[in-house]
Amino acid sequence: MKISPAHIIRLYDRFEFLDKEGSGQLRLEDFAEVKELAMNPIGDRIIGAFFSPGQETVDFPSFVRILAHFRPTDKNRAKDSTQPEPVNSRTSKLKFAFQLYDQDRDGKISRAELLQVLREMLGMQVTEEQLESIADRAIQEADLDRDDAISFEEFRKSLEKVNIEHKMSIRFLR
Amino acid sequence: MPSRTGSHRPASFGSSLPERALLLVLVLVFLQGSVLPLGAASSPDVSHQDKTDNHKVEAQGHNYTKKAFPVLSIDYHYIQTPFEISLWVLLASLMKLGFHLIPRLSSIVPESCLLIVVGLLVGGLIKLAGEQVPPVMNTRLFFLCLLPPIILDAGYFLPIRPFMENLGTILMFAVVGTLWNAFFIGGLLYAVCQIQPDNPSSLHQIELLPCLLFGSIISAVDPVAVLAVFEEIHINELLHILVFGESLLNDAVTVVLYHLFEEYSGIGTVSVLDGFLGVISFLVVALGGVLVGAIYGILAAFTSRFTSHTRVIEPLFVFVYSYMAYLSAEMFHLSGIMALIACGAVMRPYVEANISHKSHTTIKYFLKMWSSVSETLIFIFLGVATVDGPHNWNWTFVTVTVILCLVARVIGVVGLTYVINKFRIVKLTTKDQFIVAYGGLRGAIAFSLGFLLDPAHFAMREMFLTAIITVIFFTVFVQGMTIKPLVELLAVKKKQEAKRSINEEIHTQFLDHLLTGIEDICGHYGHHHWKDKLNRFNKKYVKKCLIAGERSKEPQLIAFYHKMEMKQAIELVESGGGVKLPAAMPSTVSMQNIQPKKPPPALPPERALPQLSKGREEEIRKILRSNLQRTRQRLRSYNRHTLVADPYEDGLNDFLIKKQKIIELEKKITEMNNYLTVPSAPPDSPTITRARLASDPQAYSVKPTSDSVPTIQVDLASPQSPDSVNLMDEFRNARQPEQDEDRGLMMKPPSEAKGPKRPEDAEGAKDQQRLMRCLSDPGPSADEDEDEPFLP
Repeated sequence: MKISPAHIIRLYDRFEFLDKEGSGQLRLEDFAEVKELAMNPIGDRIIGAFFSPGQETVDFPSFVRILAHFRPTDKNRAKDSTQPEPVNSRTSKLKFAFQLYDQDRDGKISRAELLQVLREMLGMQVTEEQLESIADRAIQEADLDRDDAISFEEFRKSLEKVNIEHKMSIRFLR
Repeated sequence: MPSRTGSHRPASFGSSLPERALLLVLVLVFLQGSVLPLGAASSPDVSHQDKTDNHKVEAQGHNYTKKAFPVLSIDYHYIQTPFEISLWVLLASLMKLGFHLIPRLSSIVPESCLLIVVGLLVGGLIKLAGEQVPPVMNTRLFFLCLLPPIILDAGYFLPIRPFMENLGTILMFAVVGTLWNAFFIGGLLYAVCQIQPDNPSSLHQIELLPCLLFGSIISAVDPVAVLAVFEEIHINELLHILVFGESLLNDAVTVVLYHLFEEYSGIGTVSVLDGFLGVISFLVVALGGVLVGAIYGILAAFTSRFTSHTRVIEPLFVFVYSYMAYLSAEMFHLSGIMALIACGAVMRPYVEANISHKSHTTIKYFLKMWSSVSETLIFIFLGVATVDGPHNWNWTFVTVTVILCLVARVIGVVGLTYVINKFRIVKLTTKDQFIVAYGGLRGAIAFSLGFLLDPAHFAMREMFLTAIITVIFFTVFVQGMTIKPLVELLAVKKKQEAKRSINEEIHTQFLDHLLTGIEDICGHYGHHHWKDKLNRFNKKYVKKCLIAGERSKEPQLIAFYHKMEMKQAIELVESGGGVKLPAAMPSTVSMQNIQPKKPPPALPPERALPQLSKGREEEIRKILRSNLQRTRQRLRSYNRHTLVADPYEDGLNDFLIKKQKIIELEKKITEMNNYLTVPSAPPDSPTITRARLASDPQAYSVKPTSDSVPTIQVDLASPQSPDSVNLMDEFRNARQPEQDEDRGLMMKPPSEAKGPKRPEDAEGAKDQQRLMRCLSDPGPSADEDEDEPFLP
């Protein structure tokens, strides 16, 4: 199920809107212009996800590629192991979310990384000890191989009951 | 109140001896009752009149002949009405008990069917006895007494998230689907009635409008029946909420259609203007109902903010406000069901943040109890009313109705799904559609609405009633019984039983934020955007008004975490569970840090230590052994039939303080040895051996790697554990001086609250304020004495 031209046009319109300078590339400042993102606790992470490591700008193909993660999953897709996993499959979506946690890209969410996320989400309302205990508990629950970090498999397992296809999809991008 | 003459409880399968004795007593009482002259309606006045007459006669008699003083007399009239009500309720409950004593029966036949059969039997027996069957299916009784508890139970515990996510789908099914059903059935029925030229039957006289009225009555999916059947098949959440949500929301449509057609069927025509007014009326009914419910919900939430000193009546507010919402909506002919749902759903998050733990339990169990009894009674009454009602069986009419109901439902669901799937992210599959169509059960609401018809205007009322009953029986029996095997056959996804983990909660919130951010980047004001806005509004303004004190600022994640910890602690205690090593350090959350440091509250008076029996000792040792091998174990899910035991809450406070000290100690230890988790102490570690040697200790121990680390041991009811005492002293000496109030974890005989609870409750919530809430519920004064110690 390919993305339709109408959608691409819509996304390009949005891209152009965000690209205030008209340079054909989006920079950090362009993203920061989106007001609501400033209020989002993990806004910085989301913005960071658009930029490949080392790059300072996002061009349109990369923009679309990231957003394509959030297309609704095609349930009827035949499980063809020869083809690469489509970017909007459940696994790919989860991987994307995982990478948002795992900022240092070592394939695991360490306790510190989890703490960081919790700190961002819960902010000033909570003390450090509470955050630590929640983080500890979360790791304890999910960590099956006892390495005090959450690997992608463990992450996937802990979310097996959540309807990721629904939760991580935007109708807009169908 | 309906009068009941003789009633005979049918022999219930699987009744044991005490039940038979009870049965005998009941029968005797009833026989007595049937002897007394009972008219069709014996009002209290009449009985009172009787009594005064008797008195007068007696007085007069007294003058003439001195009768022996009546030592024992029976005055049934006096208590008749409440007695009969109680007997019906008792019958319903005993039936429910009885069914579950026969395991195989309840897995094949859904409870609703069995109850209808019981009702049929009871009705039949009454009729056989020659007495008049009481008009139990009195519409007012049904709508005002029997229906509200069920709806409130459903509304209060409505899973909001899936409901809101699928709201569009649910509304489509409820509104458009019901309209389609009503018109299709009504219209075709009329057509069928007209086409009988050879056999001029009474069917010819039925006008279009009564047919449409009948269609609207019969087309509504019934929440009671759906709940009763779907409860037992444990279907996945999506389908459950679709069918159930539809059954709740179609009430508005039914109300409007019913009144519309009823009004105008006398006149015979409905103009376009009336149709238009009908649409407006629908909006008013639906939205008005929701508004009324929401207002009462907010009132209830606001009231609950101030109940911190009168915890005992907290549940009452929930019930009374909800009931008043229902009644107010019914007063204006708005949709009472929607009002009740809205009230429950609106008030719940705020009320739960405000009320004490005990009140929460009370509300939960009262609602479940009432709704259970109501449901049972409804089905029994349905059976009784079937036997009673004047029937007019017309083969054509009835069979056509049944067939049309099925056909209309299937076409409606398929057609609507086709349209809906264009808008859904997660599409409904054919299997889903089948279950939704098959789950469209009709029930008692349809019957009551039919009963409500005025016989003067509707000559064919009996025929309608017969048809309605047939459809109900068909759907409940045939569809109800076969849906379970079909669900198995089609391998429909079942409900997932396990509780939500903290991981899920964290990640779900994370994903919410993520999706909101992505939507903002796309410039798309979607689902998440509005949800986020609503949440922000809620946090900023509403929570401040409706939630008392500090809790208004508590983030949802923390609240969830607390609840989880608390639940686990309670479960651990209930399951007679063992010890959690301090490895589960995560629960070092000390909520005292949010609020300004409060001085430790005065400790409750100490209790005497329980003494242990030998068997119990062995059990505890076994538990110790097994639990020390695992860290945080997943406890079995909270059994809905066991209540939270009260006594522990009082000791929890002590516990908090002790725990805090332990935590600080542990911190020291980890600094010393840099080991965070104690995965499992091998069963024969020195600690445990020592634990076993001393008489019945329940060791709450940290694995020592250096001698300087004292072992904390909690001793049970044994006064003679010298080592432990010494250790505790050691522990005490190693720490800060402000330990005066700390009587240590030791159970020294005269003092000490319940030691065994401590290790378990170590996992419990450290929320001081939350505890305060629990503890501040004084309860009836007898509470203190009734508390049982943990170990008998």
